[in-house]
Amino acid sequence: MDSREDKLVKVFQTVFPDMDAHTARGASQESVPRWDSVAAITLMNVIEEEFEVQLDFDKAADLTSFPQILDYLGEIQADAARL
Amino acid sequence: MKLSEALSLVQKAPADAQPFPVLLACGFTPLHLENYLAAHLQTVLPNRKVRIATGLYDDLVGTLEQFDPAGAEAAAVVIEWSDLDPRLGYRKLGGWGHRVAANILETTEAALGRIEAALLRITAATRVAFVLPSLSLTPGFHTSGWQASGDEIALRGLVAEFARRLISRPSVALLNEQRLNERSKLDERYDLRTDLHAGFPYTLKHADALGEALAALIASPQPKKGLITDLDDTLWLGLVGEVGHDGVAWDLASHAQIHGLYQQMLQALADQGVLIAIASKNSAEVVEQALARPDLVLPREKVYPVEVHWEAKSGSVERILKTWNIGADSVVFVDDNRMELEEVRARFPDMECILFPKSDYAAGLKLLHRLRDLFGKPRLAEEDAYRLESIKQNQHVADSMRNGDMAERFLAAAEASMGLEFNPPATDKRVVELVNKTNQFNLNGVRYTEAEWQQGLNDPDCFVAVVSYRDKFGPLGKIAVLRGARTQARVRIDTWVMSCRAFSRRIEYQCLSQLFQRFGADEVIFNFMSTPKNGPMREFLSAVVGEPGLALTRQAFAAKCPKLYQKVVENYG
Repeated sequence: MDSREDKLVKVFQTVFPDMDAHTARGASQESVPRWDSVAAITLMNVIEEEFEVQLDFDKAADLTSFPQILDYLGEIQADAARL
Repeated sequence: MKLSEALSLVQKAPADAQPFPVLLACGFTPLHLENYLAAHLQTVLPNRKVRIATGLYDDLVGTLEQFDPAGAEAAAVVIEWSDLDPRLGYRKLGGWGHRVAANILETTEAALGRIEAALLRITAATRVAFVLPSLSLTPGFHTSGWQASGDEIALRGLVAEFARRLISRPSVALLNEQRLNERSKLDERYDLRTDLHAGFPYTLKHADALGEALAALIASPQPKKGLITDLDDTLWLGLVGEVGHDGVAWDLASHAQIHGLYQQMLQALADQGVLIAIASKNSAEVVEQALARPDLVLPREKVYPVEVHWEAKSGSVERILKTWNIGADSVVFVDDNRMELEEVRARFPDMECILFPKSDYAAGLKLLHRLRDLFGKPRLAEEDAYRLESIKQNQHVADSMRNGDMAERFLAAAEASMGLEFNPPATDKRVVELVNKTNQFNLNGVRYTEAEWQQGLNDPDCFVAVVSYRDKFGPLGKIAVLRGARTQARVRIDTWVMSCRAFSRRIEYQCLSQLFQRFGADEVIFNFMSTPKNGPMREFLSAVVGEPGLALTRQAFAAKCPKLYQKVVENYG
C-alpha cells in the first residue's frame, strides 16, 4: 500500500503534470509557478478525494508547501483515528 | 468520475491531435466543471484534443458577447440563479425575502433578456449546449420550504419561457432536467464551502454530472436508424403459433401492458423516421393474421420488411439490412431469447442487441428509455417522414431496373423532379447532418462540425448545392449535398454525399450535368478518398471517370451519361 507521502506525491503529479517525485516532495507555492489559487483549490479537492478526508479550507489557505500539507494530513488522520 | 481521473484523462489527450475548442460560459469560477467537461468530451472524442476556453468571473453576458464563433466548435452555457440576480446566490448580501422579491423578478427578467440576446448572436453555426439553473433556490422566500411561493413559481416561469424561446433555434440543445435529476441528487449539488472560498458552487459529483451532460449534448452520437424486433414474448405476450392470433396480448387486462408500451414506443420511433422490421421464427400465415389485428398499437404498414420463417435470425437480419441499405452499426435488434441475440451478435458484432425483459417491469421501463437514447435526434426533418416509403419504392425501382428496357421505361414514366438549392442558409442543419451520416455514396468520408462546415464556406469560390428529389411515388426530400470550388473552367468537388434512398435514379449523373452547365466547366475534379464503406461512390467514379481522383472532362461525361429524365428546378439560398 502507498505511504501517505507517496500518495501525496501522486496527487501533486495529477494536479501538476510532468512533475517528478523529487520536485513534488520539495514543492511550494514559491517554487511552482503553476500553483495559483485555482491549482490550490484543485489540490485540496483531489487530496480530499484520494485521502477520503474533509479539509478545513480556512486552514488550507496557509498550506503552501508539500511538507506543510503532509504534516496537516498527518494531524487530521491522527484526529480521525482517535475518534 | 473522480477529479483525479478527469485531470489524468485530459492530460493523456494526444498532443498532436486536431484541437476541439469549446467555450465554457458561466458566471462562476469554472474550476472543476471545466475539468469534468474536458474529460467527458475527451472520452467521446478520443482523436481530438479538447481545449476549453472560459470567460471572466461574474460576467456570463460579457463572455457570450465577446465569443468569436470562429474560434470554437461549440459553446457550453451554464446559467445559475446568481447570474440572474446576485441575491439569488450566497456570495452577496443584497437582501432576501418578500421586500426584494418583486425587484429580483425584474432583474431576472432583464438578465435573461441580455443572455438571450447574446446567445442569439452565436447560435446560427455553432452548437450551443445550455443548462438552466440546476441548484436549489436560496431560503429567501416567505413560505416554509414545503410550500412553493408565488415568487419562486414566477422565477421558474421566467426561466422556462426563456428556454422555450431558445430551443426553437436549430443549433441550441438544452439539457433535459429530468436526466440531470436522475444523475445528480438535488440536495447534493451545492457546495457552500467552495462557493464562498473559490466562487465555485458545485460539489464534485454535480460538476461531474454536468460535465457528462454537456459533453453528451455537444458531441452526441449519431442516432440509430433501424430496429429489428422479435414477435413472441417481445412485440406481444405469448407464442402466436400456439395460442393463435387472437391469443397473443399486449394490454393491461392481460397483464401484457409492457408489450403494448413497447409497441407504442416503436410506433413513436417509426413516426420520427426510424425503420422498424420484424425477424421471427414462426409461421408466416398466423403472424400476418396477428399483425392484421385492428388493436395492434404499432400499425402493420409501419413495419417493413417482415421476415417470418424458421431459418436463422441472422439471415433475416442480413436481408433486412440489405433492403434498408444501412450498416449493422446503425441498427438495434430486440429479442426475448438470449440465444437468438447471441446468434445475431456473432454475425453482426457492431449491432446493438438488446434483451426484451418480458417479466421484469423495471428492466422493461429501462428498455423504453434506452430506446429513446439510442434513436433520439436533436430535431426532426421533413425527410424523416419519407424514409420508409422511399425504401419501399426503392424495392419497386430495383425490381424494375433489373431489365434494361424496363428500367428506361420506368425512369421515363417516373415524373421525377430534382430541386437544386445553391448556398443554403446556415440554419439548414439537414446539410451537415446528411454529410455526416452518409457512408456509402460519400466522396471521402470527411465529417464536419457545424463550425468547421461554415468556416469552409468563407472561400468566395466555394459553392454548396443541396439536392432534393420527388417523383410520382412521393418525395424523398433533401437527399444529396455537394460542396466544392470553381476556379475558371474547372470545378473541384470536396464533398459529395447522397442518401442510399436515392440510388438507381440517375440523380448522381444529373448532379454532374448541372455542375457542368451552371459553371460552364470544362472539367470536374473529385477529391476522392476510399473508405471502408464508400464502395458505391467508388464504383460510380470508376464508371464515369475511369480512375477515381482523375479529372472528368465535359466530353467524357457527355459520352458516359445516360439519358436523364428529371426536371430540374434551381433556387438560391
